[in-house]
Amino acid sequence: MRGRARVPAAVALVLWLLVVAIPVYFIVVTSLRPADAYLSHGALPVPTDLSLDNYGRALRLGFSGFLRNSAIVTVATIALTLGAALPAAYAIVRNRSRLVRAGLSVFLFGLAIPAQAVIVPVYLIITRLKLYDSLTAIVLPTAAFSLPLAIVVLTSSLRDIPDELYQSMELDGAGNGRVFLRLVLPLSRPGLITVGIVSGLNAWNGILFPLVLTQSSRWRVLPLGLWNFQGQHGTDVPGLMAAVVLSALPMLALYLFGRRHLLRGLAAGFGR
Amino acid sequence: MTMRMTRRSVLGLAGAAAAGLTVAGCGTSGPAGRGGGAIQLWVLQSDTENPVLKKRIDAFDKHSSVKVAMTTYVNDPYKQKLQVAMGSPNAPDIFFNWGGGNLAQFVDAGQVQPLDAALADHPAVAKAFLPSVLAGATLGGKRYGLPMSGMQPEVLFYNKTVFDAAGAKPPASYSDLLKLVDTFKRKGITPIALAGAQGWTELIYLMYFTDRIGGPDVVDALVAKKPGAWRHPAIRAAAEHCVELVERGAFGTNYPSVSSDNQAASKLLATGKCAMHVMGSWEYQTQVASSPKFVSGHQLGWVPFPSVPGGKGDAKNVVGVPTNYFSVVKGGKHVEQATRFLLDTLAGDPYVDAMIGIGEIPPVNGIKPKLAASKAADFATFCYDLVSAAPHFQLAWDQALSPSVGTAVNTNVQKLFVKQLDPAGFVKAMDAAA
Amino acid sequence: MSTGSAILSRGSRRRDRSPAGGVGSAAYRQRPGLGWLAPAAVLFAVFALLPIVVVAYLSLTEWNGLGAPHWAGLANWRTLLHDSEIPHGIRITVLLTVVSWLVQTPLALLLGVWSAGPQRHRAVLSAVFFLPLLLSLAAIALSWQALLDPNFGVPAALASALHVPAPNLLGDPHRALYVVVAVLAWQWVPFHTLIYQGAARQIPTQLYEAAALDGATRARQFVSVTLPQLRHTIVASSVLMIIGSLTYFETILLLTGGGPGDATEVLPLHMYRTGFVGFDMGYASALALLLVVVGAGLSVLIVRASGFARMDSDREGL
Repeated sequence: MRGRARVPAAVALVLWLLVVAIPVYFIVVTSLRPADAYLSHGALPVPTDLSLDNYGRALRLGFSGFLRNSAIVTVATIALTLGAALPAAYAIVRNRSRLVRAGLSVFLFGLAIPAQAVIVPVYLIITRLKLYDSLTAIVLPTAAFSLPLAIVVLTSSLRDIPDELYQSMELDGAGNGRVFLRLVLPLSRPGLITVGIVSGLNAWNGILFPLVLTQSSRWRVLPLGLWNFQGQHGTDVPGLMAAVVLSALPMLALYLFGRRHLLRGLAAGFGR
Repeated sequence: MTMRMTRRSVLGLAGAAAAGLTVAGCGTSGPAGRGGGAIQLWVLQSDTENPVLKKRIDAFDKHSSVKVAMTTYVNDPYKQKLQVAMGSPNAPDIFFNWGGGNLAQFVDAGQVQPLDAALADHPAVAKAFLPSVLAGATLGGKRYGLPMSGMQPEVLFYNKTVFDAAGAKPPASYSDLLKLVDTFKRKGITPIALAGAQGWTELIYLMYFTDRIGGPDVVDALVAKKPGAWRHPAIRAAAEHCVELVERGAFGTNYPSVSSDNQAASKLLATGKCAMHVMGSWEYQTQVASSPKFVSGHQLGWVPFPSVPGGKGDAKNVVGVPTNYFSVVKGGKHVEQATRFLLDTLAGDPYVDAMIGIGEIPPVNGIKPKLAASKAADFATFCYDLVSAAPHFQLAWDQALSPSVGTAVNTNVQKLFVKQLDPAGFVKAMDAAA
Repeated sequence: MSTGSAILSRGSRRRDRSPAGGVGSAAYRQRPGLGWLAPAAVLFAVFALLPIVVVAYLSLTEWNGLGAPHWAGLANWRTLLHDSEIPHGIRITVLLTVVSWLVQTPLALLLGVWSAGPQRHRAVLSAVFFLPLLLSLAAIALSWQALLDPNFGVPAALASALHVPAPNLLGDPHRALYVVVAVLAWQWVPFHTLIYQGAARQIPTQLYEAAALDGATRARQFVSVTLPQLRHTIVASSVLMIIGSLTYFETILLLTGGGPGDATEVLPLHMYRTGFVGFDMGYASALALLLVVVGAGLSVLIVRASGFARMDSDREGL
């Protein structure tokens, strides 16, 4: 009985393995293929002479700088999103005034509103604030559009804290600040990890805000760096693939480092 | 715009375009006000052309009381920044432009200084430039701009090795082209490389066929936004020619997936997988960079785009980017000195020689010997002769038309080439978009 | 059900809970007030709400981005009614969202449940399955574009090995959208697999043991135990997918630019191209406002469906 389900499952797994592995193989192998061999050798054979030149070219084009910019934008977006959303969620959970609830409704409305819809006014506002062509210009709107989901997730997270805990702290005369630091912050950690991952992915992947809100190569983030590489050196697919591999390294390090937290955080955030 | 996009940073596309949205948006490299009384010169950023210009500016500054201040901009936001600045105190004195419809809007607003009087005093300068190119900045019989960069005509490139193996000659007429399509198809070679993932590559065919069949007036009506201009029979006929090529298998079956960003079409030509490739003159530099042996081994051939028998247009007409122009802003503080700078510089030997030195083909009379001595002598001479002999040099439509119509034509021509629109449908769609 | 489990979607379970803090409780007046909400509110107001107001205004103007916008009344909205790209764009957008959900959800669910198992080889394979998540959206789109190149990419290599002509994938108007679906699945299935994996690990094993005692097969167990236990996770994952689908446009922008023709021109991309390539900012703003309305409507549906509205009380906000 049990065995019957195994064969199709195994076939499906192998198929999916191929679907995932072939592109990854293509990316890695191409990144190691000498640039002039790419067009003549075809896409799949294992290269006979491996070359790291492609990585050199990618690095010379300033990829370390793009990496740094992307890292800054991602970390700052996560920090700003969490820093704004957690106090808001705290207020929403503990304060039942009409105003606060109206505020919650507004955030909920924003849940599925796509950021690109307001890109023109956001651009105008950023220039008025004299932030055009800076990393701050990317962080602020990215964080703003991460807020609705963050608040939804964190509010739920906070509601799981038993009321008695709040009450006992309040009876001890703890002010809001202390309740927040001693109770809310530690107990909302799973939710914070979830929000951090989602808003971090948004910032790391974002193209539109950096594209419209920055200009100089000094503040270029990775996605734009990759795109620009393709635009300027279109024939250099191996170079592009080397850049792609380089751009994945920080994520790989982060994954190896924080795998357990990642799984636990996601399980907490979107679990049963 | 789309055409140049492929050659410039993709990032310019939107990001930078947004930068032009408001005056407040500039400020990266703009001049700090108009103080100092210098001649403000705005030009597109170019690693090769800017240094040439800078040298001439330095030379001019040495013997002039008013200096020239050059400001460079990235391609796409430039149009916007210019449009915002014109008519305001922040306007430059000399500005880079594309001629045609682009320049016309400023002329219509009375913001551009006619150069006829000055040219009458310096007849040698006017005579120095090729008439068909100078005409691109001539509006209502008055001259508003002088050519400041090289010519980029679109021509038919072919692989000589593949042609020799097939015993074929490059096409002179449309019927030749159709026969060649059949010849190469029989041999299992894709007749024409086409990077159809972007519309502007396909637009080249439509533009040439329209010109060959109907002549330049048809496009003039489009640019002038005359009602019903897109319904001109020549456009429909041109679209039918495009479809005929597609259905005949001229471009193979994969062409809509071929991206112009990675210059795959150039590679297909160089490797002999395709026999021909219609592209701007920059294709030569692309081939030099990506397949040097293909060029140095004299396997790369080129001819003008084929004629269409029975058409009203002159087969010697050329489509592409004639040149870019410098124009002088009317009513500025330094009209006279700015004009003098242009007259002194653009037709002068130092500037022209330096431009040839960086691989450009200046639209200037009598430079053939200089081109013949340059690195890309064969090709440069060919282009030069082609344009010199051309009665009309049509600016690429996506530059000549307004941005929204330019976008629409790129989308719809793509639909035409993947048969989502028939020629009648194409005309209808463009008529609605214009 | 540990503390902090389940975020988006189990509001109904909370109805039994007494509202946080009774009215008139001593501590009520000290409750965290608007000040705590302020940073989020200001950020959201400046970069989301104010722009929506500006977009609404711009949609009533004719503006090419230069100088001052000219008042145009409802002209853009009349154009919108007759724009044949809109029904097409809506159709493509809905199709993309629905097909993506249909592809990604079962895949992620099955992979997630499978990889939640204890065996060692599962951990290894799961790590491989996770790989796409390391790549950014741009990296994935550009890599796939190179990979799918009909002359120099993987299809060409496979086709020449099989002696068939290389397929025209991104350039075929009937296939391009499904290629986009495939690339999006490649990008996002690992993320949703992780969510399911984490959730599946929390299903008590006793439930399976009980089912096995009743003679249920593995397939039967999946249907009768796993699926019901994961229903909130399915909702949460689906919500993320639907919210995300309106931003799929960045992948499309890099992969096909909306082409061939307009075959993959989803509504957000249509708006983007109108505004930033065609410089018709007025009309682009009308399209943008349409997107905002669609997004807000979707939000309401999501909040209703996921039960978040009831999380606070039976008569909360929306």
